[in-house]
Amino acid sequence: MTRRRKVPSAVVDSPLDTRTQAKAKEDRLPSVEDGRLMTYEAGDNVGRFLALLAGRISRPLAVSMTACVHCGLCAESCHYFLTHPDDPTMTPVWKADQIRKIFKRYVDWTGRIAPWWVKAAAPEGDEDLNRLKNIVFGSCSACRRCTYNCPMGVDTGLLVRFTRGLLTELGIVPEGVFNVSRDQWETGNQMAVTEDDYLETLAWMRDEVRTELGTEAVEIPVDKPDCDVLYTINPREIKFDPRSIAYAAKIFHVAGESWTMPKWGWDQTNFGLFSGDDRLGAYVARNVYEAADRLRAKRIVISECGHGYRSTRWEGYDWAGYDQKRPTESVVVTLKRYLEEGRIDVDPSRNAEPVTFHDSCNIARSGDLVEEPREVLRRVCADFREMHPNRRENFCCTGGGGLLSMAEYRPLRLESAKIKADQLRATGAKLVCTMCHNCVDGLNDVIKHYQIPMKVVQVLELVSNALIVPPRRKA
Amino acid sequence: MPFVESEGRPVEVNEEGFLVRPEEWTEEMAKHLARVEEGLAELTPEHWAVIRYIREYYLDKKLAPMVRKMCQATGFPLMKIYDLFPSGPAKGACKVAGLPKPDGCV
Repeated sequence: MTRRRKVPSAVVDSPLDTRTQAKAKEDRLPSVEDGRLMTYEAGDNVGRFLALLAGRISRPLAVSMTACVHCGLCAESCHYFLTHPDDPTMTPVWKADQIRKIFKRYVDWTGRIAPWWVKAAAPEGDEDLNRLKNIVFGSCSACRRCTYNCPMGVDTGLLVRFTRGLLTELGIVPEGVFNVSRDQWETGNQMAVTEDDYLETLAWMRDEVRTELGTEAVEIPVDKPDCDVLYTINPREIKFDPRSIAYAAKIFHVAGESWTMPKWGWDQTNFGLFSGDDRLGAYVARNVYEAADRLRAKRIVISECGHGYRSTRWEGYDWAGYDQKRPTESVVVTLKRYLEEGRIDVDPSRNAEPVTFHDSCNIARSGDLVEEPREVLRRVCADFREMHPNRRENFCCTGGGGLLSMAEYRPLRLESAKIKADQLRATGAKLVCTMCHNCVDGLNDVIKHYQIPMKVVQVLELVSNALIVPPRRKA
Repeated sequence: MPFVESEGRPVEVNEEGFLVRPEEWTEEMAKHLARVEEGLAELTPEHWAVIRYIREYYLDKKLAPMVRKMCQATGFPLMKIYDLFPSGPAKGACKVAGLPKPDGCV
């Protein structure tokens, strides 16, 4: 009998870095002082971890903890395993088993009676918890492709987020996750953009669109009550790439939309989704819902952001315990409506280059928004082509789950991105369009690393290119 | 963590090529980062105007400036920044200027 050579695990061995946590404590940040933002403390962390775990098992979690039959179908759906086919620690089932065995040892009766029988085991110290951190933050982008392909209905994405949440409570988190959570708790947005910076950039983009269209009638209203649309964005649009705000403003102007942006509650992104911290999730989502209430807006529109869409449109109501009856939609759905109702006209020949579409995990698999972007793209592009697999079966950009903010796991992420690179190349498209800012950066990393001659664009940009501005909207 | 070599000595960068200790930055290092990370064979006076502004802002506030401030300080229109630094203001310009990786979805 030949034995397969044992390959070393690709799980990244990254130590716990608490330097920015120490700085946050030293600066006596309010979120640290009042216990919203948790920091690492030496002590019985395993005990605290087990107590938290036992107190948080919901029915969906219990199903995912117990229903796995180790069939291996999840492995075939995971980009980490498909690019590391000899490494069992890259399979979703192995990653989920690392929390499952703790659950079995302390919660499930089988493991309490016969731990050796069901492979139940306990973490022994902070080292083990840190390794768990490297597994759930560093070797899974929480894309839920395995969840979608599980015949037993096991939600490995849910288990990963749950485990991340327990570790976040103990401050056993990657530095990048801590930093972004800190900024969102402290400033209400994930890039610590000040109100002045926000208002200044909006005024700047308004002036840019005024110049482009040659009319002073263009506005980017802030805190205007009783509008049809409350437009919320990703802070990176203010800080590093406001072009998307200009595209939206131009299209809203031409469509004659009654819209506003809120002075507070404008960040629709939510690091609570990535860190597993439901309290942060509740705080950020509530800011958006309350802004819509305060301004009596008819609907909330979310700019092109995958995890922001999932958080604000789906998960946030639950986290915040908010009775949110107001329609909440992606701006791509708004654009589709404009096209259907004839509120905007487009000329697809202005987007002549071949375009393919990358479904964001949080929008397609976890957000159920699949055909809408395609309907828009077919109207505004001359040559639209699918990549394969696509829709809910698409592969992650590899930067999901907050991984873009965790540089320590980047080499493993780029290795696993080979599958994405092959998928992109096979389309022969010159442009890859995605409705997620995070995917923009994830895809750009893949394109740069694998030297693919492609450019990443978003739906708003393509619609803005194709937009026919009628004379009455000009002067 | 990986290292890049500049002026004969190794300088520590993170897995994404951002300097770990921004105080180790030199102009030679900027040229090196621009070549390796941004594929820019040469840095023009326009590149330097952006880099110097980002550097000054960072040393003063320990933060990356938003792109609005870069444009105001240099007088460049927005699109010019993306033309100068293909990876954009955060992953391109801030990296060449020796800033640590900005926090958030970038």
